[in-house]
Formats: sequence, structure tokens, C-alpha cells
Amino acid sequence: MQSEIVLAQDTCPLPNKSRAGKYLVFHLGREHFGIRVLKVKEIIGLPDITAVPHTPVFVKGVFNLRGKVIPVIDLRTRFQMPEIEYSARTCIIVVSLEGRDEPVPMGLIVDGVAEVLNIAEGDIEAPPAFGNELDTSYLLGIAKVRGEVKLLLDIDRALNVAQFDALARLGGETSEVN
Amino acid sequence: MAESTHLESVNIEIRQLLDELAVRSMTEMDVVAEEAQTICERFAAIQHLAAEADYREVAKVAETLQSTLAKTPESSFISALRDAVSKVQDCMDGSGGEPAGFTDSSSGSDSPSIVDPGLVADFIVESREHLAASEDRTLALEKTPEDVEVINAIFRVFHSIKGLAAFLEFDRVYRFAHEVETLLDYARNRELTITPEVIDLILASADFLSRCIDAIESGPRGLDSLPDTEGALVQRILQTIEDRNKNTEDTQPSPIPVTTETAVAVAPPAEVATNPLAPEETAMVAARSVVLSSETTQTAPAPAAGTDLATTESKNNGERYSIRVDTSKLDYLMDMVGELVIAESLVRTEITEQSQSNTALIRTIAQLAQITSEVQRTTFRMRMVPIGHLMRRTGRIVRDLARKFGKKVEVEFEGEETEVDKTIVEELADPLMHIVRNAIDHGIEMPAERAALGKSDLASIRFTAVHEGSQIVVEVSDDGRGLDRAKILKKAREQKLISDSADLSDAAVMELIFNPGFSTADKVTTVSGRGVGMDVVRRHVEKLRGRVDVQSKPGGGTKFTIRLPLTRAIIDGLVVKVGNARYVIPMSSVREIFRPAESAVSTVHGKGKLVLLHDRLLPIFNLSREFGVESTIVNPWDAVLIVTQSEGRQVCLMVDELVGKQEVVVKGLGQCLKDIPGVSGGTILGDGRVGLILEVQQLEGKM
Repeated sequence: MQSEIVLAQDTCPLPNKSRAGKYLVFHLGREHFGIRVLKVKEIIGLPDITAVPHTPVFVKGVFNLRGKVIPVIDLRTRFQMPEIEYSARTCIIVVSLEGRDEPVPMGLIVDGVAEVLNIAEGDIEAPPAFGNELDTSYLLGIAKVRGEVKLLLDIDRALNVAQFDALARLGGETSEVN
Repeated sequence: MAESTHLESVNIEIRQLLDELAVRSMTEMDVVAEEAQTICERFAAIQHLAAEADYREVAKVAETLQSTLAKTPESSFISALRDAVSKVQDCMDGSGGEPAGFTDSSSGSDSPSIVDPGLVADFIVESREHLAASEDRTLALEKTPEDVEVINAIFRVFHSIKGLAAFLEFDRVYRFAHEVETLLDYARNRELTITPEVIDLILASADFLSRCIDAIESGPRGLDSLPDTEGALVQRILQTIEDRNKNTEDTQPSPIPVTTETAVAVAPPAEVATNPLAPEETAMVAARSVVLSSETTQTAPAPAAGTDLATTESKNNGERYSIRVDTSKLDYLMDMVGELVIAESLVRTEITEQSQSNTALIRTIAQLAQITSEVQRTTFRMRMVPIGHLMRRTGRIVRDLARKFGKKVEVEFEGEETEVDKTIVEELADPLMHIVRNAIDHGIEMPAERAALGKSDLASIRFTAVHEGSQIVVEVSDDGRGLDRAKILKKAREQKLISDSADLSDAAVMELIFNPGFSTADKVTTVSGRGVGMDVVRRHVEKLRGRVDVQSKPGGGTKFTIRLPLTRAIIDGLVVKVGNARYVIPMSSVREIFRPAESAVSTVHGKGKLVLLHDRLLPIFNLSREFGVESTIVNPWDAVLIVTQSEGRQVCLMVDELVGKQEVVVKGLGQCLKDIPGVSGGTILGDGRVGLILEVQQLEGKM
């Protein structure tokens, strides 16, 4: 019942989609996040990354995934969290984003992955509104599992490919000014 | 619910069977006994399905048709089949309940009522292939007009298109193809002599059909919006058919004037319709007709060249088995093979270091290396096609233009079987067209002028293609008047491209013609002289990471040499190091590599640096600063400078050191990172890491 009311609200980014289902849980510092398992292609250890000039700061560069060149971004930097040294647990989650014509593969650097959880609709609440201070439009919702909070990411919104283009241009311009 | 989906699937199944039969009835010329048997079985299947779905009407019709067809003699089987298919189709339409999109056969428009995008897409692809083949064959036919085999081949092209168009209800295409088919039918029954005019007609018809196909591709209503230009063509076809007896009775013209120059005025020049879609084309057609009726010039090919072409023709058109493969699968295979090569080289290094005593193992590894590189080569070759088709297509332009200008030109081809990546072939079409336009308009003299100069009045344009290492070299040479050094210099000075006092080498003068807007033509013609052309050639060729050079001797002709990589997927790259980063610079843009003396470097406003090389000041582009890469080297005289060139501008890239020259496979950086200034893509280097490929031109733009 509660979820019905939530779905009707404007704050919910995907009113028609059920949010229940399997999520891959990873963490950045003390915060836990979930990405729909369907969006995840694979999880790999940290490979050699080649930096690409004139890109937004959160773009770490590109790497070779079995012969394909895949861009990789640092989710910490993307969410304006402080950078830390990469550790043995640091890994890359390769996701498939919605592109203009076809899915766009992208690597996300995270502090570590934990587990795959099956989250019921009843355990998911609407993302809270923090006003202008914090944009939460890329959250599908917030899940409470065993007393822990998991932020469910709408990864297509968090890394909107179109927005990415604009950011890339912006990044290119700013470094040109320097 | 379940019931209705079942009905629907039965319906679709019947439709599919019908479609298959319809295609066969349209495309096959005759049917042998056992095929007739299978066709009858199809109708039995339809009957069975229909009975199951309770389409009594359909089942009954299918049953009667079975028995009728079984009794039909082979000669009239196809037409009987056509009737049968349409009967069952009518019946199906009548029985209702069919999925949306299958109805609406009475709209009367040219848009197909059976809108199956897949079928239409197949039709477009197939028709284009057919038309391309027909063009080659038609041009071959001009040289060997008696060759019934070739006429038959062309006939089959129009016949197939007609059949498919009828099936998809592109009425306009169907009706037009039918007229051409009729014309060709006379030709293959030797009731119509193949004259250059007939060749023109066939070519123009194929052109019109090509436009139809383009229109169909542009959208469901595309064909309706195509201007009505076929009327005039049909008129010409009918006229030609009507005149055929007169010609044979009256004049007995030699089919193609190989020795004599008998021109036969057939085409009514005034009736050439205008076509807003392709004004140039129309102008060409119009002009061609004028030439025809003025009974003057003819392209009389030398017999030797004719037979030459014909032999290669028949060789190239011999039935070859091929399959169509999705390019994404090829790309994936390329990626995997690339990885295989890297893995193989890592294993090999490891093994040769650790187990040098084990000769058997070393031998096996060497063999593996050989096999891997062979697999890689084969994979790359899979995307390659012979360049011959493009050459002949350009030959067609030569033919049309020569007739328009009243010049006599013979076209020769060499190395048609030379293979090159399909995308390169497509991109090469424009440069070649500009080169031959230029050659015919400016280079080749009028027959009288040639005679006065003591040249054969038959000029020649020669296309050759050869592989040279990892490049293909395409040459287009003519034996015309050559480039006029004095005229080029004069124009260049007028256009302020060079200073009045500049003294240039011959090569430098020739290079001037590639400047945008440059033209030596005294007057602007519809074909060339506007000064767009040669710069387009250079731009296109450089885009493909190739080079174009021109050589010329006064009175002796001009030769354009285009060097291109065999594929866009692989480039010859110079791997350089800046700090810890490695970059790949395309070899095609590298001119010189040197380490400057300290005295040769000067500074502008304390920031921009210039270096003096061969008496020219070149700007230095500091890669580490521009890309924000940390490097220990600050002074140009400690670094390596690479002189790069594109579009005539030179610039020096400053790097820490050279790693080596290497063939690299070009890969995109993905949709998110595609417009990064100075970076055109990436590649997987020998150690499996990604190296960025630099786009020299964009780097220069940022200077």
C-alpha cells in the first residue's frame, strides 16, 4: 500500500517500473549502493588504465576489456566523495548503459563489491529530497535490508550518456583555459 | 486468448509459405519437375494449415490449385503458379482476422501493402547489388555488343528487380523494369542491335531504378515523392524498340563502331526530363543526347582493350559463393583475434625466456605464432573487396563525360582484383570522380587538337591499382596536355597563394592545385573549373590516412597517385612516449623526426615555441603540457620532435622518446569519449594496455 503512494509521487524517477528485484551491492567508503543486476555485465580486478586528456575529472581513462576499449569512471569522484588509494579490494563493475543507438559499456571503479541481494518492493522507500543541496534524481530508492541502508542507483541517470557528452566538452574547455 | 494467438500464428505461417512461393514465381524463369513437386507440397501444407485454422475457403482453394498445378506443363508452370499464389492471397485477405498491415491492398499507391521492413530492406540491398552488376555488364556490353551471355545477364538483373518489386507492390519500379526488360528481350533475341544509344538507355534506366531504390529507402512514402522522370525514358525505350526494324533494314549499322564512326541518332534530345534530385546527372543525360543527335563523336574503344575488359569481366562475374555476415560479428572476431595475438606474444616471450633448452616447445611456439598471424591476416581480409568495381564505375563517368565534351577517350584498367577494405572503396569514389572530371575537362584535348599535335585522337585514361606493403596504390593517368606550370603559377599569384617572387620546384607547383578554390580553368563549366575538386581529393585521401601526389609533363599527360592504407581498421603508427603515457601517431602524417639544436629553438611571448627546420619556422606542440601528462623533459632540445603534416600545414610534436613503428588496430573510445580534441581513437598495444591514437589535424587546430 505504502509503495503505491510512493509510486504516485513525482520524486520517483521511474514510476512505471517495479523496483523490486536483484541488486549487486557495492560500497564507497561507508555507504552501500545497489545496481540492478541486469545492468551489470561483469566484475573485474583493477586493470591498467590509460588516461584520456580533456575529459571530466571522474573519467579515469580507458582500459582493454578483451580487445574492446572501455571508458572507466571513478564513482567516488562522480559522487564528489574524497579520493582514496586503490586497494586490493578495489574493482571495476562493468555496466551496460543506455546509449542513443545501442548499449554503452562502461567501467565503474568502486571500493569493493559485497553481495547480490534480492530486495522486495516493500523494503524500498522513495529517495528523500534534500532540496538543492543534494541531487537525488539518480536514486531509484532507498532499501533497508537487515537494518542496513542501501542506496539503489539508477545507473543510467547517474551516468547519463547524453549528459556525459556535455561534461566531456566542458572538461575539454576547462583544461584548455588552464 | 490462446485460441486467437494460435490462429494468428497459423495465419502468419500460411503467409510465409505464400511469400516464399510468390518470390519463386517472380524470380525463377523456369521450373523443373521436382521443384514443381515441392511447390505442390507447399500448397498441400497451406491446405492443411488452413483446414486446421478453419479457413475453409482457403483450404478449398489450395486443394484445387494443387491438382491444377500438378497437371500444368512445365512451360506454363510459372504463370500458373503466379495465378495460384494471388488466388490464395485474395482468399486469405477475404477470410479476415489477419494481423494489421496485411490488409489494405486496395490503396492503389506505390507503397507496399505488405509492409514487411525486413523484406523491403532485403529488396534494397539486393537491387543495389543487381544494379551495380548491371552497370559493369552494360559497360562491358558496349565493347562486345554481340555477346548474348552479357545481354542475358543484364536482362536477368531487370527481371529480378521487376519480380521483387511486383511482389512488394512497388508498382512504379515494376512497370518501369518491365519496359526495360522488354527492350532487352528484343536485344537478346537479336531483334535489336546494341548501339551506344541502347547502352545509354540501359545505363539511364539503371540510374533511374537506383534513384527509386534510394527513395524507397528514405521512407515508406519515398517512392511517391520521387519526381516523374521515367516517362521520358520509357518514351525513349519505346522509340528505340519501334525503330529497331528501320535500323536493320535501312542502314545496317555496325553494332559498335569499332573502326568506323557511325552515329545513329535515336534519342530524342528534347524529351529528356529534368530531375531536381540530381541536376548534374540530368545535365549529363541531356548533354549526351545532344551529342548523339549531332552525329559527330563516338567513343570508339580499341578492340584490344575491349576484349581485355571482357575477359576480366567474365572472370569477376563468375558465380562465387558468398554469404552476408553482420559487420558486428566481424568486428568481434577482429577484437578476439587481436587479443589472441597479444596473448600469444606474451606466452611466447615467457616461454622463450624460461625454457630455451626445450627446442621442441620453441618450435611449436614459433608455429603457433605463424598461425596466429595468418589468422589475423585472414580476418582482416574478410572485410576487403576488389577495387575493380569502383574503377569501372569511375570508367562509366569517364565514358559519360567524354561523350558530353565530344572527346574520345579509351579507359584502361589494371589490377582490378586488388583488394581493399570496403569502407575505403566507398570513400575513394569521390576523389576518383574529381580526378577524372578534371582530366577530361582540362587534361584531354579535343580530337582535332590531338591530331594536330601528332597524338592519336583517341585519348586514354588508365586506372591501375597495386598493393605496396600495407598500402594500396591507385593511379589515374591520362595522356592529355598535362598541367601547365606557368598557368598554375600565374593563377596562384593572382589568388595570393604564393608571393610574386617565390621560386618553386616542380613538385611544389603541382602541389598548389590541391589548394581550396584553386582552378586554372578559364571558364567555369558544369563539370569543373569552380576550384572545388582537387582540394576535395586531398581532404578525402588524408581523411583515410593516405596521400595523394600528382606528376605531370607538359604535353605528356598527368598522373595522380593515391596511396591508402588497405583498411581503416589498421594503421601504421609511430608509438611515442610522453612521461608514462604512450601515444600512437599515424605514420601517414609523420614527415620527419629530429632532435633540434638549442640554437634552433626560439620562444614567442615566453610561452609558444618555434623551431627552425630547413629554413622554415615550425610551431612546437608540447604534448605533455597539452595533455596534462607529467614529463621530466622540458626543453625541446632534450626531447624528440616529430614533424607532422596535414592539409599542407606542418607542426612539430614534442615527445620524450620514440618507442617504435608498429601496425595498430584502430578502435573507438566508445560513445562517451568520441569527440575528444586531438584523440581519434585507441588501440591495444603489445602489452595489452590501451594507447591513444592522436589526431594530428585537430592538435594543430588548437595551436
